Amino acid sequence: MNSVGEACTELKREYDQCFNRWFAETFLKGERAADPCGQLFRRYQLCVQKAIKEKDIPIEGLEFMGPSKGKTENSS
Amino acid sequence: MQKYPNPMNPSVVGVDVLDRHIDPSGKLHSHRLLSTEWGIPSIVKSLIGTCRTRTYVQEHSVVDPVKKTMELKSSNISFTNLVSVDERLVYKPHPHEPHKTILTQEAIISVKGVSLSSYLEGLMANTISSNANKGREALEWVINKLNAEIEEFTASARGTMRNSMAAAAFVEK
Repeated sequence: MNSVGEACTELKREYDQCFNRWFAETFLKGERAADPCGQLFRRYQLCVQKAIKEKDIPIEGLEFMGPSKGKTENSS
Repeated sequence: MQKYPNPMNPSVVGVDVLDRHIDPSGKLHSHRLLSTEWGIPSIVKSLIGTCRTRTYVQEHSVVDPVKKTMELKSSNISFTNLVSVDERLVYKPHPHEPHKTILTQEAIISVKGVSLSSYLEGLMANTISSNANKGREALEWVINKLNAEIEEFTASARGTMRNSMAAAAFVEK
């Protein structure tokens, strides 16, 4: 599956591989260890955020949402 | 997490994770951006450009590894001035049959400012309802694919082990 930013697809794949392994082998088995993919995620994110700005995708501060916040109101 | 790509939803062309974290109760939250491409003829695309034919959806999912549930909430972020589609899916273990999963799916659709709104809402409701079936088939397809991969891996591992055991036995003699 590709990234929304074409240049980010490779970084996304690397992160996805790391995450999928941790998800299946650690998280779902009930182990509490944090995922080791932080750096891969940060590199991938820098690329994606840039692509989102370039393509003018209206995510309206989604990336700042914490677990307690609900869906942002759509203005129409 | 590995739902796309699958043959039942060919229109999803891009998936990106925007945020991911584990909350204090141990549940995994993910925020994803999905980009979809509708089946618009390429001649139209070449006139108006692919940027205008891409629609974007934001999805928030929560996985509870203890209760073994997953909840997904998604809504469109393109064309919000015209239509609003909010979908919620919940996967949880079947209360009586431990090897089965129950999926409940609901969608709220509103079409804004168009006189044919109730007709269009009905049309969209039908599409979403038939897509709900496709979604379930899609997940079954992905599960079968993963199972086949595991079987293949196990068979080749067994083959490798047999070969090394035979070689070791040969050497011992």
